[in-house]
Amino acid sequence: MSGWLTGETIDLLARGVGYTVMLTVITSVLSLAIGILMGTFRLSSSKPLRTLGTVYVEIHRNIPALVLIIFWAFAVPNLFPPEARAAIFFNNPLMERLSNLTGLPLAYYGLAVILALTLNTSAYLAELFRAGVGTIASEHTEAARSLGASAGVAYWKIVLPQGVRAAFPAISTRLIHNMKNTSLAAFVSVPELFQGTQTAITRTFRAVELLLLAAVIYLTLSLIFSALLRWIEQRLDRRPKRTTSIQRAGVAHG
Amino acid sequence: MADQLTFVIENLPNLLFGFPGQRPGGLTLSVLLAMFAVGLGFVIANLIGNGAESRWRSLRWLCLLYVEVFRGIPLLLLLLLIYQVAGGLRFSQGLTPRGAALIALTLYSAAYQAEIVRAGLRSVPVELVESARTMGSNPWHAHRRVKLRYAVRVMLPAFTGQAISLFKDTSVVIILGVAELMTVARVTLGSDVTNAPYWVSLYMAVGLLYFTVAFSLSRLARRWERRTQRGDLVHSLANY
Repeated sequence: MSGWLTGETIDLLARGVGYTVMLTVITSVLSLAIGILMGTFRLSSSKPLRTLGTVYVEIHRNIPALVLIIFWAFAVPNLFPPEARAAIFFNNPLMERLSNLTGLPLAYYGLAVILALTLNTSAYLAELFRAGVGTIASEHTEAARSLGASAGVAYWKIVLPQGVRAAFPAISTRLIHNMKNTSLAAFVSVPELFQGTQTAITRTFRAVELLLLAAVIYLTLSLIFSALLRWIEQRLDRRPKRTTSIQRAGVAHG
Repeated sequence: MADQLTFVIENLPNLLFGFPGQRPGGLTLSVLLAMFAVGLGFVIANLIGNGAESRWRSLRWLCLLYVEVFRGIPLLLLLLLIYQVAGGLRFSQGLTPRGAALIALTLYSAAYQAEIVRAGLRSVPVELVESARTMGSNPWHAHRRVKLRYAVRVMLPAFTGQAISLFKDTSVVIILGVAELMTVARVTLGSDVTNAPYWVSLYMAVGLLYFTVAFSLSRLARRWERRTQRGDLVHSLANY
């Protein structure tokens, strides 16, 4: 290895990968939960809930993630006068504890990125989930209801899992997109992989080499992430392991 | 509240058209960048998408590699990479940030559109092409007049979605300092502390501008889709 790939550079990039993975995992999990919730709202029979779901989805889907990030990270704290701003967003026990926990000097910016990316991605996931539920035949609900399940149980136990399963390939694509979107955190000085690369460039002046290296790392990360998502998808698709006596007798197998 | 509104209204021409002397900029430049990138990307995407379904393995692999690489790295990284690499070559010393942004957006959009072309081609029922061949059309003719024509109908909704998505992605070219909407907003606020109270209202205005374009485009696209699919004999027969 020639001079540019020093220990310092490797440290910067490794730290960056750590934050990128952390942001990806947190925002993916939150987006999935909120996306399913908002998708459920949009399918609900109550008009206010449906409107809430629609407004949420349309706003956060039609505004670029970068605008959301800058808005929550930089614009919102500026609503307050300087002393109040420092007390609310930066110098308080909660933020200090978060700083110690994550190693971020300004923990609020990390929180703002998580919030903004979650709003953005969950809006997309809500739509995908809704489309997934749309492919589930209404007979499934009717069968569950006629067997005595309440409407809520029929939805949570029968419709929702199948909806997630049907939408999962599209959800995976969006989650990988979200992983790449974590690079936008560099704009609000969260030292994830892209920011780490930029810092390394200003120290070594080896822009092309470092950018290519970062590209390779991002490609590897997205390959690993998509393999992980495919594994989850296969697990979701798997039939329950316990077989019934009819299946064991070989009758149910066509 | 009133001064918030005045601030936004005062800067609205800049947000829409860019700073005087740098026009077109602002939202206009965002739209222009997206339009050209999607248009040029479409041409490349057709080559790559058709290549990915080609008979020759090496061409297929090359096209698939293109799609995987350009879809696997963040646009932000691609922008810097193109600017640095292309800017370093001797023949492109005069490459402006704007030009680099257009190249990067085009290559990025092409990868996503190529995937749509490929999926569209795959959705064509093989019987359709076979019947065209038995009717006596040559392979090229069958490909162009039957296969592509059917595939386009399947691809259209995905294309409009991609175009809208790319329009929102143009916000990222702020990293090269191209004077589009996001950059205008940042420069307007600057590092002036007295501007602090206006941040929220200005970024709300920026968000609203992006929202208006993206939302109305998606509604228009949906209406157009419904109209083209209704009373479309080829489509309804093929789906029969």
